[in-house]
Amino acid sequence: MTDLILVLVMLTNLKLLASSELGASIRVVAVQGVMLGLLPVLAHVHDLSLHFAALAVGTIALKGAVFPWLLFRALREAEVTREVEPYVGYITSILVGLAALAASFWLGGRLPVSTVGASSLLTPSALFSILAGLFLIVARKRAVNQVLGFLVMENGIYTFGVGIVAEMPFLVELGVLLDAFVAVFVMGIAVYHINREFDHIETNRLDRLKG
Amino acid sequence: MKHEALLWLLILVPAVTGALALLLRSARTILGTMCAGVGISVALGWYVAGKVLVSGPVSAGAEWLYLDALSAYNLGVMLLIYGLSSAYAWVYFGTELREEHLTLKQARLFASLWCGALAAMTLVFISNNLGIMWVGIEATTLLTGFLICVHVTGESLEAMWKYILICSVGVAFAFMGTLLVGASTHGLGLRAPEVLLWTTLHAHAASLNPACLKAAFIFLLVGYGTKAGLAPMHNWLPDAHSQAPAPVSAIFSGFMLNTALYCVMRYVPIVEAGTGNTGWGLRLLIGFGLISILVAAAFILFQHDLKRLLAYHSVEHIGIITLGVGLGGLGTFAALFHTLNHSLCKTLAFFAAGRLGQMFGTHNMTKLAGAMRVAPVWGVGLFGSLLALIGLAPFALFMSELQILKAAMDSGAILVLVLFLFGAGVVFVGALGHAIPLVWGKTTATVQPARAGVLETLLVVLPLVLLLVLGLWMPGPFQTALNAAADVIRHVNPVSAVSLGGVTP
Repeated sequence: MTDLILVLVMLTNLKLLASSELGASIRVVAVQGVMLGLLPVLAHVHDLSLHFAALAVGTIALKGAVFPWLLFRALREAEVTREVEPYVGYITSILVGLAALAASFWLGGRLPVSTVGASSLLTPSALFSILAGLFLIVARKRAVNQVLGFLVMENGIYTFGVGIVAEMPFLVELGVLLDAFVAVFVMGIAVYHINREFDHIETNRLDRLKG
Repeated sequence: MKHEALLWLLILVPAVTGALALLLRSARTILGTMCAGVGISVALGWYVAGKVLVSGPVSAGAEWLYLDALSAYNLGVMLLIYGLSSAYAWVYFGTELREEHLTLKQARLFASLWCGALAAMTLVFISNNLGIMWVGIEATTLLTGFLICVHVTGESLEAMWKYILICSVGVAFAFMGTLLVGASTHGLGLRAPEVLLWTTLHAHAASLNPACLKAAFIFLLVGYGTKAGLAPMHNWLPDAHSQAPAPVSAIFSGFMLNTALYCVMRYVPIVEAGTGNTGWGLRLLIGFGLISILVAAAFILFQHDLKRLLAYHSVEHIGIITLGVGLGGLGTFAALFHTLNHSLCKTLAFFAAGRLGQMFGTHNMTKLAGAMRVAPVWGVGLFGSLLALIGLAPFALFMSELQILKAAMDSGAILVLVLFLFGAGVVFVGALGHAIPLVWGKTTATVQPARAGVLETLLVVLPLVLLLVLGLWMPGPFQTALNAAADVIRHVNPVSAVSLGGVTP
């Protein structure tokens, strides 16, 4: 069951790389967030503690509902066309994604972490999300899309955390989740301001500061 | 028991002040409250830090809060910078209020975020849990983001977006590193609340998984290095420093960078002990330090904007501090000394740049020519701080750089020595070329000189005098404190205080 989710997470990353519409991208990231929220519950289905249940509820609520809502609001207020506007075309993006996937599996096998009890797909999936997120930040013009890239990257690190450091204290996880929330909130406001000031949210025109 | 309560108060006071600022209805009162809140924090923090430096570490909250010599020293310097910058903010925004450049809403936003950032940075220094330390760093990024665009313009938004995005991504890498450190404890049988405690990791450092620890340190160095402004991850820094209002630039350069670097310092003894004291991590630090010095030197030559020039100076000095820590021994001591010197000097430079910018309406160095004649007090402040920044004797920065050179010599790292000297030489010539016309050049603009009040004069004189005194004479207790702090980093190979005595004048 855990394997199924991890494979689905990898597929959502590929879908994101090919997606040409911002609204669809936001929804895909939301789906990915919900699946990752389920991950710790499924990994500890026999010894489910309040800790994991609370974490799952928090993650799903934030990544599945609050983040998409914030991003859709930013998008609506910015009143832009919903085209993704890539620097790198969709076909090339997919090819890059596949190469990143291969690299993740290769690296995942070599990374010196013990994954006792966790799925062998876990590290490759986490690395792939991190790489895909970074690629989205670099290769897309839209500010909203860069936020999505950041979220996908965060998801990758989260995946890694669930599998590798199951003993993470609750308070730390709470703090991390809170930071992610504030990050998206702040970025949402920034997108709104940038749009008002520049009449667009294309970051390639943020080029006045040089040297 | 009493000190435990004080540790909690250190976070609570600025947090409450920040919340209070949101409720007040006059811009003046808001700025005043902010200064008062910061003042209380400074008094509390110095008291606790002094206690720790004299009589050893204190901890609270089941060891989640912990203050030892290293964090106490950094906390003390941070509070000094915060205190000075808050007083300066009173002057700087006071002028803006008179000229009606600052609305009530902006004052409120500034004061609450300013205090919030202080609370977040304090959290970084007093948390023993490396996860919470990370949370504090990320929180400072997010809280200070809007400080850059207190005045919303196209440029400030651009700077803020780059800052938030680059630093968030960088700091996410640091979290990956934190997770890997947690993963390296597998097999030690630690309980969940203990896994990320610095004291626990430090005690078990030798039995951690070395491969995992190495991977972790690379992630941590790149991650926190981005926030600290180490080249080549420094791209956000010149933009953010040049666009933010001057008090904010002063805090950014004066202590936010050091806060991120402090996180790296925390990991150094663990990584060193975990990888068998081979100096693997230290060599990485030397590399990043040298790259930062050289990159900054190249860019300093071609700057036109005063605040961008100062920003590249920050990259250089953060590089010097990193280099010092990497050299170890005397270098660690000098690096911590340099932290204080650089912070004092850079805040003064940004204070001057900000006030001159307000008078001239620009930060372009060609238009700022002859600033000393128009505004003698701030002109002297700017020139003095620029001279100190490029490492002129007898300022304290010269002393700490000399000690780092000596550390390089002692460890026989001749290539490091040559590259450091080359970088510092280029900076010296380049920055002096900018500084002289700035002070004595022909005035091109017609500017009404503003008379500097007592507070402003004090803000110039105090840092300069401190830098001069520390350059000529290091008080004994201060040296002991610095040594205690440095010993936390170089725990693996302690250097006796006696051998260090020889280099201080």
